[in-house]
Amino acid sequence: MNNYVSYQLQDFIPFSADVYFRLLERINETWWPLHLLGLALGATALVLALKKRERLVWLLIAPVWAFVAVVFFMQYYAQLNWAGHYVGYAFLAQAILLLLLALAGFSRSKVSAANTSAVANSRPAAVAIGLGIALTGLLALPLMATLSGGGWWQAQVFGIHADPTAISTLGLALMLLRGWRLWLVACIPMLWLLLSGLTLWVLQATEAWLLFAVLAAALVGIAVLCRYPEKKA
Amino acid sequence: MSNSFTGSNRLTRRHSIKLLAAAMAASLLPAWPGFAASSGRWQKAIGASNKTLPVIGMGTWRTFNVGNDARLLAARTELVKAFFELGGGMIDSSPMYGSAPDVMGHALSQLDMADSLFAAEKVWSPAGGSAREQVADLQKRWKIPQFDLLQVHNLSDWREHLAVLRELKAAGKVGYIGITTSHGRRHSEVEQIMASENIDFVQLTYNISEREAENRLLPLAKEKGIAVIANRPYNGGSLINNLKRRGERLPGWAAECGCTSWAEFLLKFIVSHPAISCAIPATTRLEHLQENMRAGLNPMPSAENRKQMVRFFDSL
Repeated sequence: MNNYVSYQLQDFIPFSADVYFRLLERINETWWPLHLLGLALGATALVLALKKRERLVWLLIAPVWAFVAVVFFMQYYAQLNWAGHYVGYAFLAQAILLLLLALAGFSRSKVSAANTSAVANSRPAAVAIGLGIALTGLLALPLMATLSGGGWWQAQVFGIHADPTAISTLGLALMLLRGWRLWLVACIPMLWLLLSGLTLWVLQATEAWLLFAVLAAALVGIAVLCRYPEKKA
Repeated sequence: MSNSFTGSNRLTRRHSIKLLAAAMAASLLPAWPGFAASSGRWQKAIGASNKTLPVIGMGTWRTFNVGNDARLLAARTELVKAFFELGGGMIDSSPMYGSAPDVMGHALSQLDMADSLFAAEKVWSPAGGSAREQVADLQKRWKIPQFDLLQVHNLSDWREHLAVLRELKAAGKVGYIGITTSHGRRHSEVEQIMASENIDFVQLTYNISEREAENRLLPLAKEKGIAVIANRPYNGGSLINNLKRRGERLPGWAAECGCTSWAEFLLKFIVSHPAISCAIPATTRLEHLQENMRAGLNPMPSAENRKQMVRFFDSL
């Protein structure tokens, strides 16, 4: 038998659905009411993104990623999955990246004169997609816990859990960035959402489809923005 | 721990007749050495040794990885308690299974009834550290002085690890050593190791839908006196779940070999193979554990019953 063909996705998921959702619940029990601060930070970042205050957005979001890296992944998720520490390091790297964007301010991109009007036309579409994705992370995902029968204590909240944090950050990136900077910021959130979506799919959780839909929408948004190259220095 | 019948498992006249019949049938089977009926619970000898093992053990992949969740730790402790009460012996885990070794340590430290425990662990290269470091760490996590069996997980760096495990065995720090594979992977390499290395156990996937091991590995194990642990007895749950979901019914003759549920049918098929020492189903539910453990009770399928089982399963 071919060794690689014989592996199934479920061979890489070392925990069951009830244990994973209990993990989410335990995090909520421990950290409540920090969720309110997380939601407030997310909402503020969204408003700032609409006002194109890019550096402030990343300054607000960077510590959120560091918190999720240490608390969600290293303190909790790593108990169930030995790879949790490594994902935690990836989230810490994302926190540092966002901090650099905020401090160095090189998130601003330039477009060639020929493409100025085209970008102006494409930007609202990307902003709309980004806004939809960011709102999905802030509102839709927490609501899904109740719709899928898990109850509020299993709700995933921006700034506390990994999925909504990655989703909303991806949305904000689509609203604010273009070119290689967009890819750079979107890379870790998208990889995590793919990993988490596949995990939830194996666990037969409804949330998996939401994560896949977000990934598909983000790819469409990135494709729209990537049609217009930045001006070379 | 006592293996006597208690409660709902009380010995009846019908049971007595069946036990007698099974014992007579067993005595007539030349190819089935190494098992002994002990108060109705089947045990098999470990290779050529005098030590025996209950044929139904317990796996911990996914089911015992619950972290430090107090509620789930208590639930798993109850499961381990029931496992021992029902005459269970082997519990198998791995450093790959997340917190499962810690959870087992928690359960064992809460219970005062682990005399029948046959603790089986593994060394696995991606877990980091040398084999000796991994074993020492796992002993701390299980809260036990030493393991009964140490295996090389999925053949990872097996030459190096097996050499260390052999030293540990020579020093009396482990009872038995072995290798593992699953999903039918790398069978030719497993066969080479079984033929050339001095090992006590081999763990592989064997169930009614995955019978590839019957061709070469199980005969070789029998010839070399290597005990065999059957993992994935329900194919990760899909085998039994599909049968139940489709509403498949057991054949009438299944009752003759003590099968009153699909769990018993599937497990009895596995452990009645002459070369198989033990199957290690995993579960989180007490009622499923009870079903699993009933599969270790007399009567067992005869060689003819086993053929019937295969024909019936293949016809579904």
